Amino acid sequence: MTNAPIAPETTTRRPRRAAGTSSKDLMLALPWIAPALVLIFGVVLFPAAVMFYNSTRDISQSGVDRGSVGFENYQTLLDFDPIWGVLARTFVWVVAVVLFTVLISLALAQLLNKAFPGRQLVRMAVIIPWAASVVMTTLVVYYGLDPFYGIINEALVQLNILDVPYGFTKNAVSAFTWSIGIAVFVSLPFTTYTILAGLQTIPADVFEAAKIDGAGRRHTYFAIVLPQLRSALAVAILINIINVFNSLPILKVMTGSIPGYDADTVMTLIFKYIQTDHKIDVASALSVVGFIIVLVIVAIYVKVVKPMKEV
Amino acid sequence: MKKSIRIGAVVATAAIASMALSSCGFSDSSSGGGGSKSIDLLVPSYSDGTQGLWEDVIAGFEKEYPDITVNLEVQSWDNLNDVVTTKVQGDKAPDIMNGGPFAGFAADDLLYPVSDVTSDDTRADFQKSFVDSASVGDTQYGLPLIASSRTLFVNNDLLAQAGVEAPKTWDDLLAAGKAINALGLPSTYGYGLPLGSEEAQAESAIWFMGGGGTFGDADAITIDTPENLEAATFIQKMVDEGATQPDAGATDRTPLIDVFIQGNIGMIEGLPPTVGQIEEKNPDLNYSMVPIPTKTGDAFTLGVADHLMAFKNDGDKKDSITKFFDYFYQPDVYVNWVTTEGFLPTTISGGEQLADDPKLKVFLDALPDAQFYPSTNPNWSATDAAFKSLVGQLAQGKDPQEVLTEIQAKSDEG
Repeated sequence: MTNAPIAPETTTRRPRRAAGTSSKDLMLALPWIAPALVLIFGVVLFPAAVMFYNSTRDISQSGVDRGSVGFENYQTLLDFDPIWGVLARTFVWVVAVVLFTVLISLALAQLLNKAFPGRQLVRMAVIIPWAASVVMTTLVVYYGLDPFYGIINEALVQLNILDVPYGFTKNAVSAFTWSIGIAVFVSLPFTTYTILAGLQTIPADVFEAAKIDGAGRRHTYFAIVLPQLRSALAVAILINIINVFNSLPILKVMTGSIPGYDADTVMTLIFKYIQTDHKIDVASALSVVGFIIVLVIVAIYVKVVKPMKEV
Repeated sequence: MKKSIRIGAVVATAAIASMALSSCGFSDSSSGGGGSKSIDLLVPSYSDGTQGLWEDVIAGFEKEYPDITVNLEVQSWDNLNDVVTTKVQGDKAPDIMNGGPFAGFAADDLLYPVSDVTSDDTRADFQKSFVDSASVGDTQYGLPLIASSRTLFVNNDLLAQAGVEAPKTWDDLLAAGKAINALGLPSTYGYGLPLGSEEAQAESAIWFMGGGGTFGDADAITIDTPENLEAATFIQKMVDEGATQPDAGATDRTPLIDVFIQGNIGMIEGLPPTVGQIEEKNPDLNYSMVPIPTKTGDAFTLGVADHLMAFKNDGDKKDSITKFFDYFYQPDVYVNWVTTEGFLPTTISGGEQLADDPKLKVFLDALPDAQFYPSTNPNWSATDAAFKSLVGQLAQGKDPQEVLTEIQAKSDEG
């Protein structure tokens, strides 16, 4: 008697769950998810759609839409000779910055995970590049490298490493290399902290077990620590790839005055199309290309590395 | 399959919701302000004082016309074009803008002809050469706001140390630059050649036009010409023979003028505000202002004018805009504005007021010989952009002919 009412209820509930399509469920959920959805559409998808729409229009320099041109703006990009160099440089930029960032962060996180006097202080210090504005950090280096009054140039000359000050920010290769260095510097805090958080989730008994089994330091690191860091590293790398690809301020400050397109990445070229050439349509087309490149990189990365897979 | 239908439904709902939201956003701003009249004024910042100067003008104007309010928006020069383009795209163009090139806006039929928004007296007061450079065909679209011209600033001490006179021709300039570089002073160079992107078109114009070339006119942009090639080749010669600072192709104008002010550059093309900057930053600098050296030694200067322009928004603002322009161009208001910013006036009455200012004399004297950018050509913006991003390659050893061909091609593309 007491069991009777329960049985029918479970049987009626089961099929509903299994079907799971009822629009009633959706209607019930809507009030709760609607604000988030509106936000996603208004802030994420709507601008992306406008960007794609703009990339197929002919927009005058004063911002007047002169109608559709299909994919002509993309053709303009293909016909632009330096574009291949720009794409290659974007690749070098992303790979170099992310690689150095991750390698240095791994070491830094290991250090910060050890107990030593003043660790709190060092941990705070690592955050500074993060807390400072990227433009400020870059400008400090930029002025330091100035051939007329930069202290870095001055120091190099006084140390007899250089005979005369060198225009580091005036030549494509050196400006680009310094930019990579700055980008690594400002990417370190986030990456280090992500990895540090990962390190702290590794239970101590795993190390004890390794010690009992006679694993050396090197072996312990590569066989135990690194695999455990998989998901932390995956997040760090993925976010860094996207961030670094989309990074404008460092290159804009460091390479902005260099003529031609020998130090440009996709981002700075988009910026030049907008700021110098006032070609919003072509800039939109290049933005779409950049957007697709990031999507493809992320897709390949997720597919190959399977970051979400459990260890 | 079923899951995707559900997602589809969610997507559609959200899309409709966000559309509804955004359309609300679009509609409410344009219908605002029915009763009192207001005009939006978008201006770039020439100096730290620009905002205050405009605020004074507006305060005076609003006192005289209490029924009109002026909304001031100040932007940096770097952002000005992006801001106005975005505003035009969103149908929210300012009523009055202070800017450089206006031909693009005129070509898109966004501007009032000046005759619609000024009184005859105001219009008649502009100097003729400025009216010409502010007109497309016979229609004047820009109200010349400020004029500026270039002249050569020389560091007397460095020239004396190198034993050279202020140069009059290109050859003099080359020799003087080499002589100062030969002194071997640390971080001190002969001719400051700013071909970096900031204002490469100005330095190029000084050389091209000073060698008898031109950038073209309202109908055709002509960069790839024998005269310009000769000038471009000479620029490269200046660099190759070591008469300039290093990395000229990537050196921007403003920082290089600062180096001149510090006393480490022998000669550089400067503007009227440079005089004020020297007074402020290094009043001890022993310098002179001399005419720009040209190929033959003939007088020449590059004139630049910035303009005010009025956008066609709501028809009923024409009256308010006219009142504002007429108020602003009264000699008392206008001359104070221009001289505080350190530029030259474009009105006849303004020129008369300043005729005996010793600092501005060299610039005012040069104005009759001034040549202007072909800024009424619809392709000028593209040409300007091409110079900014490409001409610096001359200093990096690229073949001058190739550089000119590239600039011409980018200019023709529009």
